[in-house]
Amino acid sequence: MIGFSKVIISAALLLLAGILLNPLAAIAVEQGEYIAIRKQGTGKIAIVLDRTSAKGKTESAWAQSLDAIVKDGLVFSDLFSILPPPSNIRAEGKDKAVNFSALSSVGSEVYAGGSVSKKSGKVHLDMEVYDTFGSKLLLKKSYTGSEAELRSMGHAFCADLIEMLTGKKSYFGSKIVFVSSKTGNKEIYQCDFDGQGVQQLTNFRSISLTPVFSPDGRYLAYTSYTSGRPTLYVKNLADNTIASVVKNGVSVDPGWRNTGEVATTLSFEGDQEIYLVRPDGSITRRITSSRGIDVSPTFSPDGSRMAFVSARNGLPQIFIQDMQTGAVKRLTYSGRYNTQPSWSPGGDKIAYTTWEKSGEINIFVINADGSGLKRLTSGARENESPSWSPDGSMIVFTSNRQGGKRLYVMGSNGENQRRLLQMEGEQMQPSWSLFR
Amino acid sequence: MRSVKPLLRSMFIPGMLLLGACCCEKDVVVAPPPPPPPPPQVELGDIFFDFDKSELRAEAVQQLQKNFDWMKQNPAGTLIIEGHCDERGTNEYNMALGERRANAAKDYMINIGADPAKMQTVSYGEERPFALGHDEAAWQQNRRAHFVGQGR
Repeated sequence: MIGFSKVIISAALLLLAGILLNPLAAIAVEQGEYIAIRKQGTGKIAIVLDRTSAKGKTESAWAQSLDAIVKDGLVFSDLFSILPPPSNIRAEGKDKAVNFSALSSVGSEVYAGGSVSKKSGKVHLDMEVYDTFGSKLLLKKSYTGSEAELRSMGHAFCADLIEMLTGKKSYFGSKIVFVSSKTGNKEIYQCDFDGQGVQQLTNFRSISLTPVFSPDGRYLAYTSYTSGRPTLYVKNLADNTIASVVKNGVSVDPGWRNTGEVATTLSFEGDQEIYLVRPDGSITRRITSSRGIDVSPTFSPDGSRMAFVSARNGLPQIFIQDMQTGAVKRLTYSGRYNTQPSWSPGGDKIAYTTWEKSGEINIFVINADGSGLKRLTSGARENESPSWSPDGSMIVFTSNRQGGKRLYVMGSNGENQRRLLQMEGEQMQPSWSLFR
Repeated sequence: MRSVKPLLRSMFIPGMLLLGACCCEKDVVVAPPPPPPPPPQVELGDIFFDFDKSELRAEAVQQLQKNFDWMKQNPAGTLIIEGHCDERGTNEYNMALGERRANAAKDYMINIGADPAKMQTVSYGEERPFALGHDEAAWQQNRRAHFVGQGR
């Protein structure tokens, strides 16, 4: 107990020290101003990305890679219009200062540039961001890493830039887990937020389904037929140990409530009901009790409410249950077959899929109070399994609009729908992790 | 006399036949009785469901009675009952629906006297379709409880 309090106190002290000593804290005040100005005009932020300067051959190669990584990262975010740097971007003279009037004349709102150097064998990147109109420094930060970490360094800068401009944490560094039939069997894979770095996580040669990371990224929960019937497994990613729920019947579609509890459908008591399970496979308690199927739990960020699919009234609809009182309210009334709810990280919205009369399956969002229903996909066959990016700005989903099922991403209002990754076989059931 | 010969000749064939028949009758007495006709071997059959339903149709009930007869004929046999769904709807929901179909079949079999210890269920949802088409003909084939007999 004493040790625990000590940890808390020292953590608090460190946090305070960070705020007091960090020169960026001063910039945080300006952040608010910037966002306030931005709200006047909607649309994309016009940015000039300067070439990262470097001395030496190795450093120049790093700079080139970093420029491409940062540019691709900002393009993916769909928040920026990236302008080519004007030729007179640097003022004449010894100090080669940034020529802000030249930047303003090409319509740039924000300028980002920096330099890369080698310091004790490591890559050292210094970045600066300016508001071009006020010639005001918005962000100044250094990033250090090995040559193999160029991508994560570039993305760390993208994340800081977007967080500074929008006031929100972004998805850089996050992962997407999904199922693919690439090998002929359904196995679990992961990739980076932008579809890069695909990695196969299982090789069970069985049927493996519905993977989802715990909020802290320590565990991966999934359903697999390795035992002959669909069973919930929780894999500890630190030591690769795997726990399972040892009960008769099915296990379907896990969803994490918090870092220590995952909810899933089990049927060992007869009916398909949702239960809370610990990462060691033991059951905390049963949550639902209604005749008919209850599946696909997803939780509000504070874990106080659960949205889920229930066939208690006939065809499947989405309901919300208060975890404390157990009170249940039906959320969806439009559409006869509504499934696959995904609660937004902001807590205000729920994305889900409707099987429409036309035969299309489309993704909708609705406010958690049942208002503000909006269709995000249409006229593109079957669109399923929505999952929010950690910052809530994007949604990853499955679509068969170009043939087989593939992964796509779109903005949270349905804008800019595009294919996430090129890969053999079909891809499905994506889940965007919440951790960075 | 001329007319007697044909008469004798005509009596000779039935006479020989009679003699033969008598001989045969003797043999039949010695031989074991013919085996009774074997009862028809009952084959396991699958049952089919309506869209989004796990309730048993009338013809499904008849098939389940036959599957119970199979169990009676194969006292050492056990059954795996697989629940399947068509590709429509969502995979996660169909995983649960497939189990309800397998359980509906199992529960009926228990009601008519089958030993629950000899039946196991597994839901495949829409993961293992029988027919690969994308029309009602294929979907109907895939909304089923599939019976696999073991150890007969």
